Amino acid sequence: MSNPIISFKTISKSFPGVKALDNINYDVMEGEIHALIGENGAGKSTLLNILHGIYNEYEGEVWIAGKKAAFKNAHDAIKAGISKVHQEVSLIADLTVGQNVALGHEPKKGPFIDFNTLHAKVDVILERLRCKFRSIDLVSTLSTGEMQMLSIAKALFHESRIISFDEPTAALTENESRALFEIIRELKANGITVIFISHRLDELFQISDRITVLRDGKYVGTYHTAEMTRQKLIQSMVGRDVAAFAERQKLGLKTNEIVLEVKNLSKTGVFENISFQLNKGEILGFSGLVGSKRTDVVRAVFGADPKTAGNIYMKGKKVKIQTPKQGLKHGIGLIPENRKTQGFIHNLTNAENMGLASLEKFSHLGFINHKQKIDNCNRLTKELQLNPKDPYYMTYNLSGGNQQKVVLGKWLTTDVDVLIFDEPTKGVDVGAKAEIYRLMEELLAAGKSIIMVSSELPEVIGMSDRVMVMHEGKMIKELQRQELDEETILHYAMGGSEYKS
Amino acid sequence: MNLLNRLTKGMGREIGLLVALFLMIAIFALIDPIYLSPGNLLDIVDQSTINGLLAIGITFVIITGGIDLSIGSIMAIVIVSVGWFLTKQGMNPILAIILGILIGAVIGLFNGLLVTKFKLQPFIATLATMSAFRGVAYIITNGWPVLNIPQNYRDMMDGDLVGNFPISIPILLAFAIISHIILKKTRTGTFVFSIGGNEEATRLSGINVDFTKMVTYALCGVGAALAGMVMLARLGTGEPAAGQGYELYAIAAAAIGGTSLAGGKGSILGTLLGALILSALKTGLVVIGVDSFWQYIAMGTIIAVAAYFEIIQSKFSGFGKRLSGKR
Repeated sequence: MSNPIISFKTISKSFPGVKALDNINYDVMEGEIHALIGENGAGKSTLLNILHGIYNEYEGEVWIAGKKAAFKNAHDAIKAGISKVHQEVSLIADLTVGQNVALGHEPKKGPFIDFNTLHAKVDVILERLRCKFRSIDLVSTLSTGEMQMLSIAKALFHESRIISFDEPTAALTENESRALFEIIRELKANGITVIFISHRLDELFQISDRITVLRDGKYVGTYHTAEMTRQKLIQSMVGRDVAAFAERQKLGLKTNEIVLEVKNLSKTGVFENISFQLNKGEILGFSGLVGSKRTDVVRAVFGADPKTAGNIYMKGKKVKIQTPKQGLKHGIGLIPENRKTQGFIHNLTNAENMGLASLEKFSHLGFINHKQKIDNCNRLTKELQLNPKDPYYMTYNLSGGNQQKVVLGKWLTTDVDVLIFDEPTKGVDVGAKAEIYRLMEELLAAGKSIIMVSSELPEVIGMSDRVMVMHEGKMIKELQRQELDEETILHYAMGGSEYKS
Repeated sequence: MNLLNRLTKGMGREIGLLVALFLMIAIFALIDPIYLSPGNLLDIVDQSTINGLLAIGITFVIITGGIDLSIGSIMAIVIVSVGWFLTKQGMNPILAIILGILIGAVIGLFNGLLVTKFKLQPFIATLATMSAFRGVAYIITNGWPVLNIPQNYRDMMDGDLVGNFPISIPILLAFAIISHIILKKTRTGTFVFSIGGNEEATRLSGINVDFTKMVTYALCGVGAALAGMVMLARLGTGEPAAGQGYELYAIAAAAIGGTSLAGGKGSILGTLLGALILSALKTGLVVIGVDSFWQYIAMGTIIAVAAYFEIIQSKFSGFGKRLSGKR
């Protein structure tokens, strides 16, 4: 390894009431893939924002390639060769790929944009990234993975020497992630320094050279990836021992009583002939690759989307569920994949969000009993270990894990029997993940049943009693707990046929 | 002090508006002390009743993230129909008023139907009905005004309660109080805010979003009906052309009062204060003798300034986000 290209020297940054970063000191070497990890709120994003010039007021110094950097804004950082590939890709859908890549730096011919040069230049970069799309394509025609490539193309367009990736694989399929890693390795081979943030530890071990751990705004250490184990890494992140956290503590809660039965559920062009049973006290996992339509199936069961055929039975009785209201009435709740757009409501407080689906319970002749609503929130806050404990706190300002708890609290208030978790720990840090798993088990013990859609195989394997594997809208295979391992699930998820006798 | 703190918690916007209103009154009074006369102050309130009723109704719709451009035309339909009931049918005024309110609610429901079942964008749906309802008002009277509105009706909706104190003010206050209670104390009120904040998440919480939206458009229609009936009593004739452009000042009052056109935010008290500020400004400009052409510019300026203050205010209260809130 060569010289340090980035040196953070005694960096501290405070927000009103919070010390986000406290005396951070470490170097990133030129040409390495350097992972940065820590729980949500550990200060990773704040540190990156300082590096990228988004925050320009902080204590300490950042040195880039031996020179002190003083970026006034993100633009300065880009000019100095430091680019960011965003967590949630922000692109202008109605412009072409080339226009997005060059936005604000278009080559000009006189007063006009020189589109020929622009597209030619961008196409060269796209070819280098082995993209199938071209500079003249509209961004709205691209998939999520392709949009991510576009962000990388943007960084290369600006001839960046340092590129940071903030949770780049969060929205990608396995294949897309693999392709991305190859690109990242190629960037490294070309001497580009990569900073990589991810919650998925497996990825860090696959790709990084060194790993820096932050905890509560403080620097914990920088380690050579080859010398680290998963267990040691988790310990240094959380400062405590969270042994194999996606692991069931209590098995055998599953009973023979069938709570929910779905028969031949179809939605033309999306999924067909889906049948399954859910027993009381079990976690039924739904696994499959992106595009296997798992989410579509559970949304149709809950009534969020229409279905074209099939029947749903609750405790043996046929029920009609065409709207979420009917789903709720028959005892089904959905904790959706995207908290911000589907889970909680940003202008409501914790108490209001938690009470939203069951206000009928807290009201008389349409008038809300405020005290009951607050009491309910306080009770659940305690049960779910929500932090902060203020029922008037705006849910919007909570961390990802705590927001998820509020959405969960909303459904616990309703007393539904079946809870559908769609990607329950997406964007949730390690500590909160463990708590959510623990809560799921407590729910089972309290007589509830859970359907869990998840893309994280360790989670599916660790938590499920049974797993339904889907592929392109079809139910391929039902696996019992003892049959679960990554290879088997992936084999069926990729459309494989029976191969074990 | 503790009591004051508790009473004012989460009401920064309303307090700011009150200060702005008093400042405005003080400035006009300094220029011309007549402005402070009891007669003029009463006039300010009186002039705000019609706009206030419209603005309270539309506040519900705006909080859900919708808009209703047709309220001026709804006013006109109610004006000519109630006028027709009173003059041609010789109907009991109380019955006519109840029918007028019902007509407003039903027309509002029609707007709601276009927005929910037919999924038209609220702006387009009510732009269409703004024109169509106006046509209905003209057709009802064949284009003629309804003349000779009976005095007993006029006394009921705009007569003097005691001395010079007009009855239209208690009518406005009653509608405001009922609306406030609906918004802050009932399930429907919570759903109005949650739909404005995130319609999809509200639907996925098992709530009948369409029904709640229909209710808001119906309440908006009721506000327009009440405004129309006060106007009918005040003028003594029912013009099918009445109320044109009134929707703009109603939206302005709500916006000045802190109701976000993006939805999810707003209060009845804020809207009332917004209507009062507009009325105080208009009256003041007349009192100090500003040319009526310039009055339009002044009204426009105050709307823009109020919107700008909203931005500044949210910037300074903790990175533009409320940490906690109480309704």
